[in-house]
Amino acid sequence: MSTTAAEPAQAVISPGSADRPERGRLELLITERRGKSIASRQFHQGALRVLRPHYLDDSGQVCYVLVNPGGAYLGADLYVIDVEVGDGAKLLLTTQSATKIYRTPGSFAEQRMTLRLGDGAQLELAPDQLIAYREASYRQNTHITVRPSSSLMMSEVITPGWSPDGSSFRYEELRLRSEIHVETGAGTELLALDNLLVRPPLNDVTGMAFMEGFSHLGSLIVVDPRVDQALADELHSVTQGHDAYTGISLTHSVAGTTGLIVRSLANSTEELARLLGACTALLRHNWNGQDPLNLRKH
Amino acid sequence: MTARNASCPSPSAMPNTRTDSYQLALQQLTDSALPTGAFAHSLGFETYIERGMVHDEGSFGVWLSAFIGQQLTYSDGLAIRFLYEGAPVAELDSMLTAQLLPRQLREASTKMGTRLLEIGNEVFPSPELAAYRELVTAGRSAGHQPLAFAVVARSLGVPLPEALAAYLFAAVTSLTQNAVRAIPLGQNAGQRLLRNASDGVAAAVEQVGHLTPDDFGAVSPGLEISQMRHERQRARMFMS
Repeated sequence: MSTTAAEPAQAVISPGSADRPERGRLELLITERRGKSIASRQFHQGALRVLRPHYLDDSGQVCYVLVNPGGAYLGADLYVIDVEVGDGAKLLLTTQSATKIYRTPGSFAEQRMTLRLGDGAQLELAPDQLIAYREASYRQNTHITVRPSSSLMMSEVITPGWSPDGSSFRYEELRLRSEIHVETGAGTELLALDNLLVRPPLNDVTGMAFMEGFSHLGSLIVVDPRVDQALADELHSVTQGHDAYTGISLTHSVAGTTGLIVRSLANSTEELARLLGACTALLRHNWNGQDPLNLRKH
Repeated sequence: MTARNASCPSPSAMPNTRTDSYQLALQQLTDSALPTGAFAHSLGFETYIERGMVHDEGSFGVWLSAFIGQQLTYSDGLAIRFLYEGAPVAELDSMLTAQLLPRQLREASTKMGTRLLEIGNEVFPSPELAAYRELVTAGRSAGHQPLAFAVVARSLGVPLPEALAAYLFAAVTSLTQNAVRAIPLGQNAGQRLLRNASDGVAAAVEQVGHLTPDDFGAVSPGLEISQMRHERQRARMFMS
């Protein structure tokens, strides 16, 4: 990316490169109608689409499953996802299968996601794990804008990747960068910036300070006006019983809303999925009276 | 980037030959006796001590070099460079607040930063420093340590490479002194660690110059989790 060093302000906006071919685009506007959330606008193009929406319970939350018919992200591919959840609407967005990044010689695959949540809107983002194969480079930029009354839950699991000789961490580079902004009548303020950069060829990422000897990394970010230290303590107890090394902390507060981050290292996708699933189950139950998320039943 | 050529003295040529007015000021600013409260922060290494992973000179050296190459490079160092390049201090302040996700780490940065703003205001006043202090007093900025340092260093005319090296080495010195007390290590071990860390600091200064805005705040998961877990550690010497 040919960003000039003199313009740090651009870091907040995540500059793109105009020369990348757009391989897939998905746009979704979810609105609330008589207690039920529906897509009032939907657009897809190229190698991204969604399955028919369904409702997992009677909460009104609509579930969309994102599908990449090509099955994987390849070199120089750009995927654009633009989702708006309107006032009071509820969306669960997940994927049909793991996001796979294959070899990207000379370039990188990229996903740019823009998420906007209205007043009282709920968004639960629960994609399958990310797998980067040998010689893969991937950049994921997620730009989120919430209102002080919005509720956001987003999880992510990153695997050590896969290579034919069985060794792990053989990919070139993974960059997963998420910005969360809070929009009020007075303007927009940055709440959290989560930037993960893994470059196995340059540093030993397996040891102390980085992966700490573990193979998988999981994150959960929650933004909600109900987030507080008591909730962090409760989630801490939930994570205790798992075979993982986990940290939980709170962001600063903006206009009455606060972020909570769970960061966890473990040795399998399943262990992290169980741990993060237990955390979201508690939030779904306490806040929305919903059952734990169980997508594999459907 | 501002000049990182002639104004960056090689260590061997530094004394006697230079009489820059900022030299003594920079020494005062980075002296470990500067009362910013750095003695109270491990910035996460105390968690490694508790887990038994940092227990001697060698294991602390591993942690220290990871801390220099990650946290100090991608957050503190890059914030200092951006400030030197003219980015608004208020914007960088909010980016640091948003990026330092472990609460204790964020509080450490603003506690030490606020002290540095107060001290700077007494001994190295400048309009830029007054403006930053004003933002903090008004509650519009948090007052982060690397930014308070960068504002003062820039107002004193310290070239960026020197400012970066001085800041990073001061941070390393405080952390090493804290490790000497906490592990504990001998005083000579502390000095050997500092000498070895100087290569890491030089590499970090170089690296900061090559990073892009997208690199800002890149975290090491292990460091970050340990900084978060410190909040729940029962017996602890340090606030972070």
